[in-house]
Amino acid sequence: MAVSPDGIKKFDFKSYLAKTGRNIIKNKEKYLLILPGLAWYIIFAYIPIFGLSLAFKKYIAKLGLFRSPFVGLYNFENVFADPAFMESIFTTLRINAGRLIFVFPFPIILALIFNEVRLGKSKKILQSIFTFPHFLSWVIVGSIMISVLGQRGVVNSLLNLLFGTQPIAFLGTPSLFQPIVYLTDIWKSAGWSAIIYMAAISGIDVEQYQAAEIDGATRLQRIWYITMPGIKSTIIVLFILAVGNLMSGGFDQIFNLSNAATIKVAETLDMYIYRITFRGSVDFSFSAAVSLFRSTINLLLLLVADRIIKRVGGTGLLA
Amino acid sequence: MVLMVKKAQRSFHNRFELLDAILLLILLVLAAMIVIPFISVIAISFATQKEALESPLLLIPMKPTIDNYYRLFQDPRILIGYKTTFLILLLGVPLNLFLTTSLAYSLTRTNFPGAKIIFYAILLTMLLNGGIVPMYLLMLQLGLINKIWSVIFVYGVNTFYFIVMRTYMTTLPESLIEFAKIDGAGEWYILYKIIIPLSKPIIATVFLFYSVDRWNEWFNGMIFLRRNDLIPLQLVLRNIVMDMSIVNSLSIAGPRVPRFTEGIQNATIMVTMVPVMCFFPFLQKYFVKGIMIGAVKA
Repeated sequence: MAVSPDGIKKFDFKSYLAKTGRNIIKNKEKYLLILPGLAWYIIFAYIPIFGLSLAFKKYIAKLGLFRSPFVGLYNFENVFADPAFMESIFTTLRINAGRLIFVFPFPIILALIFNEVRLGKSKKILQSIFTFPHFLSWVIVGSIMISVLGQRGVVNSLLNLLFGTQPIAFLGTPSLFQPIVYLTDIWKSAGWSAIIYMAAISGIDVEQYQAAEIDGATRLQRIWYITMPGIKSTIIVLFILAVGNLMSGGFDQIFNLSNAATIKVAETLDMYIYRITFRGSVDFSFSAAVSLFRSTINLLLLLVADRIIKRVGGTGLLA
Repeated sequence: MVLMVKKAQRSFHNRFELLDAILLLILLVLAAMIVIPFISVIAISFATQKEALESPLLLIPMKPTIDNYYRLFQDPRILIGYKTTFLILLLGVPLNLFLTTSLAYSLTRTNFPGAKIIFYAILLTMLLNGGIVPMYLLMLQLGLINKIWSVIFVYGVNTFYFIVMRTYMTTLPESLIEFAKIDGAGEWYILYKIIIPLSKPIIATVFLFYSVDRWNEWFNGMIFLRRNDLIPLQLVLRNIVMDMSIVNSLSIAGPRVPRFTEGIQNATIMVTMVPVMCFFPFLQKYFVKGIMIGAVKA
């Protein structure tokens, strides 16, 4: 940036170029270090993103991802004409909306209980128990659930001993699928998600609690008026993320918990994409159109949720 | 006045005791709901078919046997599973660490041309992704289908871990780097002699992050590897549990001997899960640290 005689700053392209050039040479080793990671992002993140342009093309294997011919909105016409596609969107929204209601609050409650309960070292042991399932894949958790919820599994045994009920086919009953998705989701991840809230709670000024105690606030009042406002922003951020995931998420879980008996109520959008892409008659352009639709909706949901939170007065997620 | 406060405190204290008991009870019930499935899996994996059929509630096998494990390891798939997963770990995790560390260090300060754009382009991939369809076609075009490299390369940098590591590195004192530069040290020297030794805790954390992810790898394996001699352990578990074909695939003992399918299935869960259990104490310690750093950033 050079200053001309009349005092107005003028953009001096030459000196800018020279400065940038010097800067690049000075940092040449940094560029070399960036290179492998950047190459990975270009090949394995950005090429697939641009590969979604296949949604507007007719995929021809010989021509590959980028040279197949354009066909306009042809694929989308087919997608929206497929009743299974619309059905999968409703299934996804149903399951994920339920998650927001039944699964989302659970870690908050768990964190509050953990914060209130007075235990010594056993608190750590309990915490470990709650966190452990997070580190298992949904293949393992799904397998455990198949074993535990089976006709002769431990859950049916317990129910039989306690209430004398007949064995229930938990994983084979379509109407039970959704509750089981929520319960197993809580089982696997509530303890882990609670850690984030517990971190937020530990950041609250202790003096506030002491002051409240002196003023005679009850424990529930302290939770409601000090702890909850203290973790409000954390709750909001995680809620935005959950809303942003309304159309996705949970593929691993659903894939590993569903079976032939429940597939009708389990075919979410991701399951649908998997089925049409890797099972039966393959039409990659069709699949790409569905994927592009999915990515677009996800991004829009995230942006809208972020905007709403900012309107309400929160800090929001995106800068 | 003082007396009143004391009295009030005491009455609170009593009420606290009741609330404490209730909360503790809730926690214990919840913990039991998590622990009992594990106990059940362990019990069945060590039980005989007779006991599993007769016992109304099998939580501790009275006549423990390793028969199920013995039969499980007769199945060639389990060894293929271990081999494939260890290969993925051995090749994959070093690549993950190399890419993530070099990227995190070089983008710690975005004060050189293009750095900001690259940084935001990386962050953008957290919001946008192409999904599995173009990825599969890309792998097809690269000729990596049915090769271990597809699973290795598809997961190179996890953007969240990159942020965690970069955030940690921004907290390192810049003066150290400046002094080294005055002494004529190059970026490579600074990275290997100063940054990496100082970043050991975060590198250990991210190492564990990646190792668990690679151990739990199954989806990419299912999509990209369709060979019977290259199956990740998780998929072997899935195959054994989901399809009952194990009964047919085990021909060693002959068709007459009744096979305890559930026992073998639960034993498979065990051999897939136990390594994670062994590393869990470290995991927990480091993961919590990692998530805190991530949370600070968010």
